[in-house]
Amino acid sequence: MKRPPFLVALPWILPWAIGFVAFLAVPIAMSLWYSFNDYSLLEPAAFVGLENYKELAGDPLFWRVTRNTLFYGLASSGLSVVMSLLIAALLETRVRGTSLVRAIVFIPVLVPAVSGAVSWLWLYNPRFGLINSALSKLGVDGPDWLGSTAWAMPSFIVMGLWVIGSSVLVYSAALRDVPRTLYESASIDGVGRLGRFRHVTLPMVSPAILFNGVMSLIWSLQLFAPPHLMTRGGPEETTYTYSMYVYNNAFIYGRMGYASALAWLQILVTLALTLIVLAVGRRFVYYRAA
Amino acid sequence: MSDERRQHGDDQRAGLGPRVGPRLGAWTSLAVIGFLYAVPLVWGFLVSLKSSAQAAAPGLGVLPRFEGEGGEPSLFSVAYWSRFFEQAAANYHGVWTSPIADFPLYLRNSLLVAVLSVLGTLVSSSIVAYGFSRLAWRGRDAVFTLVLATMMVPQAVVIAPSYLLFRELGWIGTFAPLWAPAWFSGASSVFMLRQFFLTIPRELDEAARIDGCSHVGVFVRVILPLSRPALAAVGLFQFVGSWNDFLGPLVFLNHQEQYTLQLGLANYYAQHGGTPWNLVMAFSTLVILPVLLLFLMTRRRFVEGVATQGLKE
Amino acid sequence: MTDPRHPSRLSSITRRAAVGAIAGGAALAAFWPRAPRSRRTIPSGRVVLRYWEKWTGPEGEAIQRVVDRYNESQDRAWVQRVPVADPMSKAMVAVGGGDPPDVLGLFSYNVAQFAEARAAMSLDEFASRPGAIDPSIYKPAVARMLSHQGRPWAGVNTCYTLALYCNRAILAGIGADPARLPRTIGELDALAERLNERDGAGKLSRVGFLPNLPSWWPYFWPIMFGGSLYDAARDRATVASDECIRAYEWIGRCAARISPAAAGAFANSYARSFHSPEDPFISGHAAMIVQGPWLANFIRHYNPSLDYAAVPVPLSPDVPDPDQPRGMLEADVLMIPRGCPHPEESFAFLSFMQSQEVQEQLAGEHCKSSPMARVSEAFMRTHANRSVAVHDAITASPRVEVLPQTRAWKPYADLLIGAFDEVWSGGDAAAIMTRVQSRAQAILDRASDLRKRREGAPA
Repeated sequence: MKRPPFLVALPWILPWAIGFVAFLAVPIAMSLWYSFNDYSLLEPAAFVGLENYKELAGDPLFWRVTRNTLFYGLASSGLSVVMSLLIAALLETRVRGTSLVRAIVFIPVLVPAVSGAVSWLWLYNPRFGLINSALSKLGVDGPDWLGSTAWAMPSFIVMGLWVIGSSVLVYSAALRDVPRTLYESASIDGVGRLGRFRHVTLPMVSPAILFNGVMSLIWSLQLFAPPHLMTRGGPEETTYTYSMYVYNNAFIYGRMGYASALAWLQILVTLALTLIVLAVGRRFVYYRAA
Repeated sequence: MSDERRQHGDDQRAGLGPRVGPRLGAWTSLAVIGFLYAVPLVWGFLVSLKSSAQAAAPGLGVLPRFEGEGGEPSLFSVAYWSRFFEQAAANYHGVWTSPIADFPLYLRNSLLVAVLSVLGTLVSSSIVAYGFSRLAWRGRDAVFTLVLATMMVPQAVVIAPSYLLFRELGWIGTFAPLWAPAWFSGASSVFMLRQFFLTIPRELDEAARIDGCSHVGVFVRVILPLSRPALAAVGLFQFVGSWNDFLGPLVFLNHQEQYTLQLGLANYYAQHGGTPWNLVMAFSTLVILPVLLLFLMTRRRFVEGVATQGLKE
Repeated sequence: MTDPRHPSRLSSITRRAAVGAIAGGAALAAFWPRAPRSRRTIPSGRVVLRYWEKWTGPEGEAIQRVVDRYNESQDRAWVQRVPVADPMSKAMVAVGGGDPPDVLGLFSYNVAQFAEARAAMSLDEFASRPGAIDPSIYKPAVARMLSHQGRPWAGVNTCYTLALYCNRAILAGIGADPARLPRTIGELDALAERLNERDGAGKLSRVGFLPNLPSWWPYFWPIMFGGSLYDAARDRATVASDECIRAYEWIGRCAARISPAAAGAFANSYARSFHSPEDPFISGHAAMIVQGPWLANFIRHYNPSLDYAAVPVPLSPDVPDPDQPRGMLEADVLMIPRGCPHPEESFAFLSFMQSQEVQEQLAGEHCKSSPMARVSEAFMRTHANRSVAVHDAITASPRVEVLPQTRAWKPYADLLIGAFDEVWSGGDAAAIMTRVQSRAQAILDRASDLRKRREGAPA
């Protein structure tokens, strides 16, 4: 007697199913429940209905961190797409040392966030940091990078561009998959170098760009450790990010209910972006796997 | 116009590679990029060799400097290098034996979490990946889409909700929240292994099945032995992920004797009353070192793994 | 098995062996039992108390000396001081997660939060134990700070107030009378203006006084105008009151007199050098500075010849009762978290810490004034801060303020950090403070809602 296929498969996928329910679905459901409660972690929760969501609308800091986070997310994912595509293209040229540079560019991905933060904190130090020391040799009086409202967020964006090694690798793979015959026929048709990039390379790697771009947007919208460790959100709340606000409310202000409401909005946004990735990326992902 | 044509003709002869001019340009750009990307870590390492006074002084001095009675010892003198190693050793020894950070204990804790996570994810994810690649069942693709979707959920989004769960389970202040989830398979590990399993020819399992093997037999005798490279890559990724985790220990661990290296470093650097930069950088260098060595030894695995899946931060 | 693309079979095998050896070593190390360094010296048979404390460095060592004294004074409990960088957040997560330490070293503003949430044990639960604490041993404001809604919740672990420190040599250098330090804000402004100094390039090389040097107390300044941040009786945020707005307008003027950018850059360049030889006051780059009593300790170490004197912060001429010194009193406190493993032993230790003698030892080593009502003559005479009497008088003053005693204070204070920066760069103080007040009030209202619901609910 043959058992139905699903029952045969069930034991195999059970670990995932349990993990999915226990460590993702249940916490998310619990936090939905707590977002309708006043909950300080230290005492039992009290139901307040939509109070937390109402409070969000009138909370200037909520709008502030949302703006900051969107700015960082869009700027950093946009620049990271351009930068990593550029580096990937450069790495495809046949010159000596590409494998060394590839490794150097990839290594920051492996560097723990805390180590990265202390390294950059030191580079950005206004008095003895490397950047301002170098600038002063050029006769330029460098700003207090993390201490000035104008430079603090850009400094984090630059720091984010240091960690693009994995998208460089994905673009490298995508670039190598572009059939050479396309370049050859374009060349024969008299299309220039830029033209070939514009008309052959870009369309061929665009699924990868879209996939990677949205993935990097999802990740950059969660920015937490660098500003948490380096500026605590200052100056003037210019580097205060959404994830920090969730963390501070949950674990410092003792307002887990409010934090849950914040987290839920974040989950919804992430979910929407994920659906986009799946829509555009599924084809790409399977195509890569095939 | 005719010039243009000739250029392309040259390109054709040289394959895809560009001519010397652009090639020099590309080489220069790559050199600059390599330099810029190396600076933060290399500089941090250099700072870790200096004295605390020199580490906090402006300037571009690459190597430590020593004031001697007879002026500065020359870079080519034995005296310089003996003081160089003496100071470097003192800094690193200072970190290892620091009274405010129990480095060896944090190292043990980090390893414990990482090793348990790697074991867990290897066992569970390979089982699950088999279910998604070797068994045909209705709804498989839809469920697999769900796996893909969870792969994209960043940790920061679910950290507060997870706290609520682990609190109910009484796991706060234990290592369990850091490694137990790995025993229920990680989405990206499942994805990587599934992609690899799909490349193993079906004929191999058919042959085994004809010999009377069950699915378990096929899994253990055919799939797993052939999947060592993929398992190694998954293990590596999980190790790096666990080793580098900061938010998890930050939220779930309470007592200093449970700190992992990441939390220890954050605590060390934020200590009340001044930061000795050279020691912080020495601590940081020690934290990066294991991951860096692993990467250098297994570079190809990493690159292949990332290219199929993309590594999360 | 070897990858055919790989150049050498042998090197692949040795590499694999190396990786395997490392993995094995890591696994071995991971499960190797290892006692924390800090636990190795604990004598057997004692109840081990985990005491979380934020201080490290010399201040931490001073606390450790007191802890050592306690450990030697009896043979029942052993207090283990554990340095914790972010004690309040960690404490909340640990208590909320059901895994608290035995004794918590927190800040005075945490008392309300932990008391209201019943996350700490009230000390009146130990009223019948030996060593029960009589609040009259403290200065009145200290006793007020340690209690919430009429019940005692915490023991003190040193306290501080801020005062205006003046470099008398610099004052004398410009012809000002070093014995006549500023008493009103007008005098402070006028003197500060004369003390500013620029180098040949027109860059600021010395400031008379800047309220963002250091920028650690953005909530302090209303006191100088008789303002208050919080009306406890009505549970209202009052940072948009006339007095408070005038205080923040004054801060904007302080910045504008030099230019917000230049003054901000000057302060930022010292942001990480306080309490070092490059400290702006110790190195003579700021002639006057609002600081805590510990400043004298660093002066003693880094520039012992510096001729300083402290006075209570100057006041606006219209504040009532101007003869009483004003200031903000803050303290480090000790609390016993609810659900901790050894409450009785924890209380015995906490009680030990509340003696006049222990607090004077700690306050002396931390270079602060004493929180206790009775202060020994020797303490005052041998204190490293020659102006300790000023701090002692502020602490004892009936006009001294304590931080708002509400669980909403931390988010409120964080709002003021951003607001201070905005005012500094020329923002309209009235508009900014009105915004902060309404947001702070919303948080206060939610907190009081919760409290009412809790009190209304059956116990």
